This record gives sequence, structure tokens and C-alpha cells, in this order.
Amino acid sequence: MWGWLAFGSSLVTLALIYSLLAMGLDVQYGLAGLLDFGLVAFFAVGAFTSAIVTLPPLGSSGYEGNYTIGFGLPFPVGVVAAGVMGGLLALLVGATAVRLRGDYLAIATFALATIVQITLSNETWLTRGQFGISVIPQPLRTLVPSSNGYLHAYLVMTAVITGAGWAVARRLAKSPFGRALRAVREDEIATRSLGKQTSALKLKAFVIGGIYAGVAGSLWVHSIGGVHVNQFVAIITFQVWLAVLLGGAGNATGVVLGSFVLVALREGTRFLDLVPGASNLGRVNPTFLPSLRFVVIGMLLVVVVRVAPDGILPERRGRRADAGAGSRESVAAATEAPS
Amino acid sequence: MSQFLQTIVFGLATGSLIGVAALGLTLSYGVTGFINFAYGELLTVSAFSTWLGVTSGLPLVVAAAVAVLVVAGVALLLDHAFYQPLRGRGAMPLLITSIGLSFVLQNVLRMGFGADPRPFPVPLVRPWTIGSVFVPPVQAVVFATAVIAMAVLHVLLRRTMLGRRMRATAENDALARLSGVRTTATLRVTWVVSGLLAGLAGLMLGATETNVTATMGFVFLPVVFAAVILGGIGQPYGAMAGAMVVGIGMELGATYLSPDYTLAFAFAALVAALLFRPHGIFRGGATRGT
Repeated sequence: MWGWLAFGSSLVTLALIYSLLAMGLDVQYGLAGLLDFGLVAFFAVGAFTSAIVTLPPLGSSGYEGNYTIGFGLPFPVGVVAAGVMGGLLALLVGATAVRLRGDYLAIATFALATIVQITLSNETWLTRGQFGISVIPQPLRTLVPSSNGYLHAYLVMTAVITGAGWAVARRLAKSPFGRALRAVREDEIATRSLGKQTSALKLKAFVIGGIYAGVAGSLWVHSIGGVHVNQFVAIITFQVWLAVLLGGAGNATGVVLGSFVLVALREGTRFLDLVPGASNLGRVNPTFLPSLRFVVIGMLLVVVVRVAPDGILPERRGRRADAGAGSRESVAAATEAPS
Repeated sequence: MSQFLQTIVFGLATGSLIGVAALGLTLSYGVTGFINFAYGELLTVSAFSTWLGVTSGLPLVVAAAVAVLVVAGVALLLDHAFYQPLRGRGAMPLLITSIGLSFVLQNVLRMGFGADPRPFPVPLVRPWTIGSVFVPPVQAVVFATAVIAMAVLHVLLRRTMLGRRMRATAENDALARLSGVRTTATLRVTWVVSGLLAGLAGLMLGATETNVTATMGFVFLPVVFAAVILGGIGQPYGAMAGAMVVGIGMELGATYLSPDYTLAFAFAALVAALLFRPHGIFRGGATRGT
């Protein structure tokens, strides 16, 4: 019973962390229309930053294991540093990339995420490369002695941070800044002609997304207590995309819902082991079930785009926009038009 | 000096491999207007089919030919089942759909064959020595294949009615239709040609890497993107030129800078190209409004 509760608790924590990622992507894509296919890079940088900031320094009493760089600072510093580094990387990438047309931006961010991954796996002095870092301190661990109790406590902390992120994202969407971003998304040239600096607006949205992903990286790395470069693969980016599209791009509440559905579906495939035939297949081929999970995620991306492009909770709009081909609005219009 | 020449020889071979893949991708991008992220999996399917054919007793040449046809079939099937129904809804839904399909194909292969690499059935041949430079025959074949593929595609696009229809559809879909081009049929043919090139590139990738894994195409894809964008999207000659720049650049970087960052050099070239020549080395239009 308590075991199940702990399992549920860690799943909700994971869903909340994915919610932060999804809200970050939602500011970039849902509001500003930026196709960020490299979100995982900001997540990775946040995770490593927070790990390195909080690890006890070499030679100190808390030192155990195998890494060389640690600052021994408290967890809150790690979270903030992760957000700052995620934002800085987004600034660096975005300063060059946000001017690019939609699909070029997608390719550029995809390639940059790969560069970040290659860099993290080669710079072993910083990240321990293929060995990973395995003894990352967990915040306030000593205050909660039982390991199940700690899972619940961590969930509460994650919920508070994600809740704050949600409140900010909602305020942002309703603010003049959010409206300007949506205007850029709908028609960049018209927005520029009204005197808005559209590149600067897009860059700000991109950086905000990077900050969200960085903070998510920090929460994630301390929840599992270890980090390894191979965890940050492209499929993470596209799972977040699925959460955003499924929940409803442009709606912070929707993307949180989408993240919960994503995690439920993904972790639900674990129980396929209980199906008699599947467990046999799993024994013959140990990659069968993990691969099946990604088949499901890939298929869902295809299905959501085809049948429910607005997601479960669509963005609320005062007036239906009549946008050019290629924007989400024309997608919505095309599916709703009588054929 | 001989190290430099050696690097150039390897660079030409790498560039040829990237080039054939880039031809197929840029062709489908130019005509259909979206980046097919599932393109890497077409290469993977080709290599897997060849491995499967040879292990079940077919001669290598027959297995390879069958594999290329299988890939063309898969490309056609994907278009019919997934891309065609989304026409007219812009590039974003197609882009996301192709990503979904990429993960489906990749993981279906892994479900079927597991994660262990399979040997690509390429015969081991002693490299030729020209002066002080080694030329492995596989790389010579890869280079020759690229030259032939380029020449055939040139004739197809410039000298046949089919090529004219494809170019017309790429230039302006609606206008082509008004002028009596059956654009849907033209798109189908484009997918077949793109699939044939992907199949060929998959063979070349398998022969170069000497083994077959479910992720080989996906990992290779960003390099192909780099060549396509350097060359200007939808430009076959540009794609081939871009591929040579990327291929030689990667080998030079690996030899003289750091072999750990070979792939990163390709992407750095891509990002640099996007920044300074956003319209491709030839033309295109990366910063054009949506």
C-alpha cells in the first residue's frame, strides 16, 4: 500500500516536472509560435548546473564518489543557477536563431541540442561523461528520515515550484507582452509594422522557455539523485511537444494536463508486463517494452496533430483569427471548415 | 601533405554519402514544402532490409536492390497514409507527423530486431594505395554511386516531362495544377524518387559504418540537414555541394582539431550557414516570412 503511494507520488512529481518543461515550450511555441526542437538542451544544462552547484567540493567531509567539481551550495542556489544557465543558453542560441523562419529554426535548434549533448558527453572533467554523476545531494534529506516520506515531501516542493511557474505563465499570457507574442505568432510583419520589435519579443519568449526548462532540469536531477548525458536525448523534446499539443498549445492549464496524460500513458506501458504474451516477448527481447512506449508516443503525435490539433483545452480566443497558411490557426480553421 | 590528401579522400567519401541522402531529402522538401524528419528511418530501413536479405540467403546485390525498392515503397506508403491527408494544413502538422513517424519506425525496428548492432554484409577488401594515400574500395564505390545518382537526377529533372512537372509543383503548387499538372500524382512520384535515393544512401551508410542499428538514420539525419540547408532548400546541386563542404569539413575537423567533435563540426557549419548565408550557399530563403 505505502509502496504504491510512493510510486504514485514519484509519478506525480515527474508529471509536474514535465509540466514545467511543457509550460516553457508553451511560451516559446504556444505564445510566440517558435518551433523549438532543442528544448532538451536547456533541460540538460539545468540538470548539470544544479548537480555541480550542490555537490560537496573535492576533499570536503560530504564528498563521496567520482566527480571533480562541486561547490557545495544549498539546493535553492542550484535551482536558481539552473534557471539562469538554461536562460543564458537560450539567449545564446536564440540571439542567432530566432530570426529564422519556422522550419529553419526547428532544424537549427535540433542541431544545437545535438551539439550540447556532444559537448556534455565529451567534457568529462565537468560532467563525468559516460560515467555520469551518481551521488547528487537531495535537498532537506536529513529532515525527512523515511525514504517514502521524502518522496511525498519532494512532491510538495515540486508542486509549489511548478504552481508558481503556472501562475507566472498565466499572467504572462494575459499581459501586454503575451498579447504581443501572440501577434508575432499570427503575423510577424503586421506586428513589426505596428512598431513592435518582433525579434526582441521572440528572443524574450525563447529565453523564458529556457529558464523553465533549466529549473525543470534542477528539480529532476535532485529527485533521482543522479545524472548521465545519455538521458538527454531528442525524444524528451518531442515528449514535451506531445504534452503541449495534446493539452492545448497556448493554454498553460492545458499543457499541464497534457503533461499528466503523457506521464500516465508512458508509465502505463510498464504494466504491459502483466499481459501474459507481452512478458514473454519482453524476456526474448529486453528492448521490446521500452521501444513500444516510444511507438505509442510517436503514434500519439501523429494522431493528435491529425484529429485534435487544438488539444484537450484549446487556447481561449476572443475572435477567430484569419491567419496565413502554416500557423496553428489555419490548422484549426481547416479542420473546422465544412468540407 | 599525405595526411591532408588522405583526409580529403575520406572527406569526399563522407560527402558523397551525405550528398546522396541530401539529394533525396532536398527533393522531397522542395516539392512538398516540409522537412521529412522520418527520412533518417528510410535509410535505416534500407540497411536493415539488406541485412535481412543477405542473412536469408540472397546475394548482396539482389538484397540491396530489393532494399532500395522496399524503401521507395515505404516512402510512398507514408505519403499515402499520413502526409497526403494533411495537405493544405501548412508545414507544422506535417513536420510533427514526420517526427512521430520517425519514432514509430525507429522503435518498431528495435522491437523487431533488438538494440544490438547487426553486421552490414559488405565484403572486406584490401584498400588500394595510390602514392601514400589509402583508398578503400567501399569509399570509391560510394563516391562513384554519388556521381551516378547526381547525373541520373540531373537528367530526370532537366530532360524529362516528369522532372518539369516536379519542378513546376515545387515552384508553385496551385499554378502547376491550373496548368494541368496532376500534382498529387507528381507528389507520389517525388516520394518514390526521394525513397529510392534514401534507400541508396542507406546502403552507403551501412557499408561505411559496417553495422546496422535502429538509430543509425536518426543520428545521421542532422548532418543531412546541414548539407540541405547549406545548399539552399530544394536545390539538388546545392545539396550535393553542401554535402561535400560538410563531409570534407567533418573529416578535416576530425583530423586536425578533435575527433570527438566530428558531428559538432557539421552542425557548427550548419549554424554558421544559417547566420551568414541564410539563403543557402546558392539560394533559398531562411528568413523569409512564414
